[in-house]
Amino acid sequence: MNEHDKIRALLSLAAAEVLEPSEEKQLMDHLRTCDSCGAELEKWKLLAGGLRRLPTPQPRSIVVERARAQAQIRLTEEIEHRWNRTVIIGLLVFAWILTLLSWPLVRLFTGGLLGMLDPRFNHAWIVFGVFTTTVWLAGGAAAVLLSTQQRRERRLA
Amino acid sequence: MDMTAAATLYGAMIRGIAGAGRDNAAAAYGEGRVALDSDVAQLRRGDLDALSTLLTRYQNRLYRYLLRMVRQPAEAEDLFQQTWLRVAEKIQHFDPRRSFEAWLFTLARNLAIDHLRRIRPESLDEPSGDAAAGETAATRLPSHDRPPIEGILARERSQRLGVVLEMLPVVQREVLTLRFEEEMKIEEIAEVLGAPLSTVKTRLRRALERLRVILETSYPGENWQ
Repeated sequence: MNEHDKIRALLSLAAAEVLEPSEEKQLMDHLRTCDSCGAELEKWKLLAGGLRRLPTPQPRSIVVERARAQAQIRLTEEIEHRWNRTVIIGLLVFAWILTLLSWPLVRLFTGGLLGMLDPRFNHAWIVFGVFTTTVWLAGGAAAVLLSTQQRRERRLA
Repeated sequence: MDMTAAATLYGAMIRGIAGAGRDNAAAAYGEGRVALDSDVAQLRRGDLDALSTLLTRYQNRLYRYLLRMVRQPAEAEDLFQQTWLRVAEKIQHFDPRRSFEAWLFTLARNLAIDHLRRIRPESLDEPSGDAAAGETAATRLPSHDRPPIEGILARERSQRLGVVLEMLPVVQREVLTLRFEEEMKIEEIAEVLGAPLSTVKTRLRRALERLRVILETSYPGENWQ
């Protein structure tokens, strides 16, 4: 392929204004000496101009308003969903902290301050920890499942 | 068709076509960009008014793009509504460093492609390099007869170009509409299509060449003035 053919292949893209600077320079250099490519480029530019000036079809106003209403409802649901999730996570964290704090307090008032400093985990601590973890994990899983189910029902509705 | 006739044909087409003009004023663009960023930020915070503003801003362009993709107004309207529902669902996942426009059109494109895959899977086939393949569709063109009123002529020419555009395969239609009607940069088009720049350029070149072949075949030597 000689230079003339290469430039020919670039003309449509030149009309679309997507050439690289180096390609543009190459094209401009060639156009100075080639009238035929200049005329061809003009035709491509006219076609490109025609595409740019095609009339814009418009959606019916009822469709736009329906889309607006539905999207706003969906956005409201999404916001509500995010808020509910944040509240659930906050409550879980709060409950965890409260639970973990309650046991040392009980120890403080029943076993005395020195009892708290005992590094050994006794049987009651382990049972308490396992029980609490299981309960809160089950609660968290239930909350997630409930939320997913509600979300699916809302979509189906 | 000789060069003079072809030049006359395209020249007349451009002069006659009426349509929305481009607003290239840099200041207006800058203001528009700031307003857009602000609306998108507000939408991410859940502002319903921002959603409404963005929908108004993009309603015609988005619908036009979808219509070029699926060609059926009823389907385009349905996809238009689905796209805005998707925007409401996914706006939290939108990266504000990206172009909102490219993101919006990517959502619309994905929905349109899924729709076409379900309804008309054959329409998604990549076209061959044979530019003359579209000639048989020329029978769909409107009548060559037209009343001698310039305004009506202009509309008719524009309609014909629109009809010829519809004859192209979807991958070529979409790249033409994104570049010439939506005036997206080549990088933005690549982002919407999820394709490399070289692929986008190849599609663009093939689409233009095919469009021109169909026009020259359908209206040989016609005087458009």
